[in-house]
Amino acid sequence: MKNHRFRLMATALAATALLAGACGDDASGDSGGASIDETTTTAAPLSTESTATTVATTTTEAPDEPDLVPEPAFEGELAGLFSIAEASCGDAEVSGSYFRMLQPGGSATDGPFVPNTDSTCVDPSFTPLLPGSDGGFISGGFQPAPDPPFDADGNGLARSVTAPTPFFGVAFAVSSEDEGAAPLITATEGTLTGELSGWTANYATLVFGQGTPKPDGSLPGLTSELSGSIDPATGAYVLDWASQIVGGSFDQFTGIWHLEGVFVAEG
Amino acid sequence: MTLRRTFTISALVIGLGMIAAPAVFGMFSRAPDGAAMIDDFRPFMTPEKVTLFRGYLAEIDAADTESRLLLEPALTQFGVIDSAEYQSKFASLAGLNESWPAIEADMTDLVDRMADNLDSYAAVDALPNFKLFPWFFVAPGVLIAAVAAAVLVADRRGASTKVLLRLLAGLGVAVVLAPAVFQMFERAPKGGDMIEDFRPMMTVERVRAVQGYFITMGAAEGQLRNGVLPLAAASADLPSDQFVSITQFSEDWPEIVVEFAPMISAMSDNVDNFAGVDALPPFAMFPWFFVAPGLLVEVLAILSERSPKAYLGIENVATI
Repeated sequence: MKNHRFRLMATALAATALLAGACGDDASGDSGGASIDETTTTAAPLSTESTATTVATTTTEAPDEPDLVPEPAFEGELAGLFSIAEASCGDAEVSGSYFRMLQPGGSATDGPFVPNTDSTCVDPSFTPLLPGSDGGFISGGFQPAPDPPFDADGNGLARSVTAPTPFFGVAFAVSSEDEGAAPLITATEGTLTGELSGWTANYATLVFGQGTPKPDGSLPGLTSELSGSIDPATGAYVLDWASQIVGGSFDQFTGIWHLEGVFVAEG
Repeated sequence: MTLRRTFTISALVIGLGMIAAPAVFGMFSRAPDGAAMIDDFRPFMTPEKVTLFRGYLAEIDAADTESRLLLEPALTQFGVIDSAEYQSKFASLAGLNESWPAIEADMTDLVDRMADNLDSYAAVDALPNFKLFPWFFVAPGVLIAAVAAAVLVADRRGASTKVLLRLLAGLGVAVVLAPAVFQMFERAPKGGDMIEDFRPMMTVERVRAVQGYFITMGAAEGQLRNGVLPLAAASADLPSDQFVSITQFSEDWPEIVVEFAPMISAMSDNVDNFAGVDALPPFAMFPWFFVAPGLLVEVLAILSERSPKAYLGIENVATI
């Protein structure tokens, strides 16, 4: 909703500026022309992160319009793509997006974690995530697994959110399933919260609900609420959550998810 | 009170007892737990699965042996890596080498318990659905209680009770015969044997242990595939194709995960269900929970029919 408001505001501003520029053309052609060009250029990509920047910039140039006081960019419900930045874990410092699996009885900070010997990280308790065909996950929409979700070897086939990720000889695949409400991330002054109930890991013919909260709204065991931050200017974000597996072969194990990347509002 | 009335009231009480029994034994919750457990284990309780699992364990055993007795000595002997570095760099493999005897013993025990109970499982699976079990008590109990109550009412009104008492006796016979019809005398004790055999494996601790085994095995397999074998392949003296057992293990590992994971799931998801079933009275007793009340009802109905309406009771003297 707020993105729509942004767009309406930006469109109104662009129209106002165009009108003012057109009027000013008669008086001072050069400066008016430059203004029109600049406004048109910056206002054009309204659906991307630059939109917010544009709106902010434009509004600060029009302080006489009290109704157009800007809301912070990337504020409120964020509908769009949270791109997934590839992990960098060639040394002890790990950045980018990754997954860890905490063993039963462990703690999210101290482990013990499952060592994934298929990981390319120096520390095999970190499993790097690579962006999928959509580039990341979509807030406000679903990215379900294909049917069938597995190949003959039990490798997950979903590849829109992340690329299938080798884990103990079998690839897990992430999908965003329709478990009720669509994924929804909300920004409040740079802090991210939200729901990712449908976040699902498909592995070895088994399906693991790895979102938060669980589809029934609960936060069992070490399952944590989603938390993170976003840079209002660039859309660079960080998201973290933990989701404990309830039942099944990995009962009581906890998936620790860390995503980094850039948010791009839907166009 | 007449003896006849006493007999009939006794039959009524037995009927009410049968109605109450499932609630007393917690069968309304435990029987569905048992049904769920039977369903979850069905894919694994086959001779084919047992053979498959035994084959995987033998395969891992061969790979473990090969890595200890052939691969590591070869790598260190040809100076590719020294022993201390091997142990430290491939700690997960070393972990498997060290713990495999215990893992193999425990996993073999699990598979043996499955194998030993294939017939018992089939017998239990052939019983009527566990979810229906409470109603096998409630339904005849209601009928018995209702007919016995009708006899009492008819008696009080001075009406004929012959048909009702014969119906009551017939119900008793039906309850007596039910276990035989469902072959419970043969199947229920087998269920009891299976419960006994599964008890050591259906615990949270055992499930956690098996989960841990897969971390140990999976981590070692990954190191073999991604670390040790490439190291051996890089050495001109060590053609990697001589490590056939390890290669086979790595090739089959995804299949092993896919096959074993659902079985661990079945174990994990049914720990509570098993506890519920285990808390029921012994399976071998179940046929007698039908035979005993059925027989009693039958006898009481016959005795009641043969007893004079006025025996000791004053109230009934007037009705003669």
